[in-house]
Amino acid sequence: MSVDAAYLSPSLPASAGKDTDVTSVPARALGRKLAVFALRQGSLAVFIGVLVYFSIAAPFFFTVGNIGNVLGQSAIAGVLAIGLTIVIIAGGSNVVTGGIDLSLAANMGLSAAVYASLVQAGQGDAVAIIGALGTGLLIGAVNAAAITLAGIVPLLATLAVMNVVAGLELVLTQNTVVPASTEFLSTLSASGPFGIPVLAYLLLVFTALVAAVVQYTPVGLRLYAVGEFPEAARAAGLRVKLFVSGAFLASGLCGGLSGILSVSYLSGSTTGAGDMLLPVVVTALLGTVFSRRLVPTIGGTLLATLFVSFLINGFQLLNISSTLVSGVQGLLILLVVSATTLLKRKGNQ
Amino acid sequence: MSNEFLGGVNRRNLLKLTAAAGAVAGVGLLANRPAFAEQELSLKGKRIGISTAGTDHFFDLQAYNAQIEEVKRLGGEPIPVDAGRNDGKLVSQLQTLIAQKPDAIVQLLGTVSVIDPWLKKARDAGIPVLTIDVGTTNSINNSTSDNWAIGKDLALQLVSDIGGEGNIVVFNGFYGVTPCAIRYDQLVNVIKYFPKVQIIQPELRDVIPNTVQDAFTQITAILNKYPEKGSIKAIWSAWDIPQLGATQALTAAGRTEIKTYGVDGSPEVLQLVADPNSPAAADVAQQPAELGRTAIRNVAKLLAGGTLPRETYVPALLANKENVGEISKKLGLG
Repeated sequence: MSVDAAYLSPSLPASAGKDTDVTSVPARALGRKLAVFALRQGSLAVFIGVLVYFSIAAPFFFTVGNIGNVLGQSAIAGVLAIGLTIVIIAGGSNVVTGGIDLSLAANMGLSAAVYASLVQAGQGDAVAIIGALGTGLLIGAVNAAAITLAGIVPLLATLAVMNVVAGLELVLTQNTVVPASTEFLSTLSASGPFGIPVLAYLLLVFTALVAAVVQYTPVGLRLYAVGEFPEAARAAGLRVKLFVSGAFLASGLCGGLSGILSVSYLSGSTTGAGDMLLPVVVTALLGTVFSRRLVPTIGGTLLATLFVSFLINGFQLLNISSTLVSGVQGLLILLVVSATTLLKRKGNQ
Repeated sequence: MSNEFLGGVNRRNLLKLTAAAGAVAGVGLLANRPAFAEQELSLKGKRIGISTAGTDHFFDLQAYNAQIEEVKRLGGEPIPVDAGRNDGKLVSQLQTLIAQKPDAIVQLLGTVSVIDPWLKKARDAGIPVLTIDVGTTNSINNSTSDNWAIGKDLALQLVSDIGGEGNIVVFNGFYGVTPCAIRYDQLVNVIKYFPKVQIIQPELRDVIPNTVQDAFTQITAILNKYPEKGSIKAIWSAWDIPQLGATQALTAAGRTEIKTYGVDGSPEVLQLVADPNSPAAADVAQQPAELGRTAIRNVAKLLAGGTLPRETYVPALLANKENVGEISKKLGLG
């Protein structure tokens, strides 16, 4: 239980446990299972319900073209949210003390700026791609060092790195839009087979690859072990710090990759990358409800990203103000976090 | 413009500039003359996509709302989308809008390099694209204030106010936005003939969001760098939200001898211009609501089979300490 304690709310009153002691353990476990089942199926039902509603209310919604567009529009946020999910898996899902990477959005901004600046300087796409991915990886490495070597809590370490990175972007671009157009970028932002954007295919392939590693390989299993029970993982001989560092490197790389996607989507690097941070954090947290055990998963994060994008898209098609989307998003996250927190608390007693 | 300081040569140049700008404005007024009688215009059964970069400034909000109302007044169905100054959102919304196949799309503001590929996609999809304050070849018609005249008027007022010499601070963070670029270029064109007017280098970069706070901070810093009175004569910005922050910074630092200049006619800045003790010297007020209505009327003309000029100019009004009351009345600000 001592291992667990770090991942429980420290303010959990001791009496809370006593009230439930009366119930037998199997009954409690069954209750929790039912609740998890309800939450998970409920979320899926809500997702499907929203899709069905939009399809009926806005006939254009359920067309290959529109769904393709939504997938393409989700690519940048999706790649970032998946990067964040890897960090949350490796660091544990406690929002304050667990794994979090606040530098992701700024990372995307700087990587995009590096890409666009290199193109402006007359470099080819290959150099620009290496530049952007290298930038992302470097930011990931700084995060990893601050967290595993200096022992700073991820929340603070990545917050500091976020500020440094955002500052570097300002220095590099002077807070202006840096246009970039190359053949490679046009290919990325164009439509592929069936009139579906290339970015949509990229998102699906990327998710499949990351999900394959994280959900179906021993490495992925160890990543979960490190995040959920670091002490146990260490006792079992896993090099916890190595896994945590690896997670931050992976998320840095995701930042770099989304930077490239962003340059293609916006025909250059633009200001305001920081605006992406909170939606991405929300998406990664929301993703847990789409998993069987209410843990962060790559597939769950993809579903959450798509859910948010479909909401925005459907609202536009129904001519409802898109400002409502953030309200709905906020409400959802509140519901999800309270439900998962309550369930975890019960499960851990 | 009859200030004593202007030597013969300068005055001649000034006249030339004014004449040239007058000619541009004249062309604009001609283009502005409606080809169709107003009552014939109708958008009955038409869906018009109205996309804006944002609605967080007086200008955008007025132009955006006026467009929506005008579409409704003409019997059409507006599909309004507001990107909230987020380029990613702007592009997503345009992409979805194109897929919705409206009868026309009107784009209000936005960074050209970001939106242009998507305006082209709309055009390729057979949707007529009109713009407000966006200079692109992918739009059939751009409704805009005569930014050459705005830039020239503002620059001449500035040069005249500071007596044709001195250092000026310039906010030039949005040279990528066409109207801002034109206004800036006009400033440079005018001060070219006043060699004693110098732009302090490096130029400042205005930002969005937090424009006011940021301008306040930057101006406070530059005042510390130039503590002597008279070392800075004026502060210029291509729009008036940085001017707002700059003016506040000057008042806070007690450096009210420095004058500020901007464009857009935001009510809070016009109020400052009206205040005799405020350093806000002039603000060129565009007529955003009129711009919005003009663009929609142009859509109606186009869909009725009419042809449109490349640009439709809506006159702008320079408000200075003398005439600000009158201008505010014209803009409906009381």
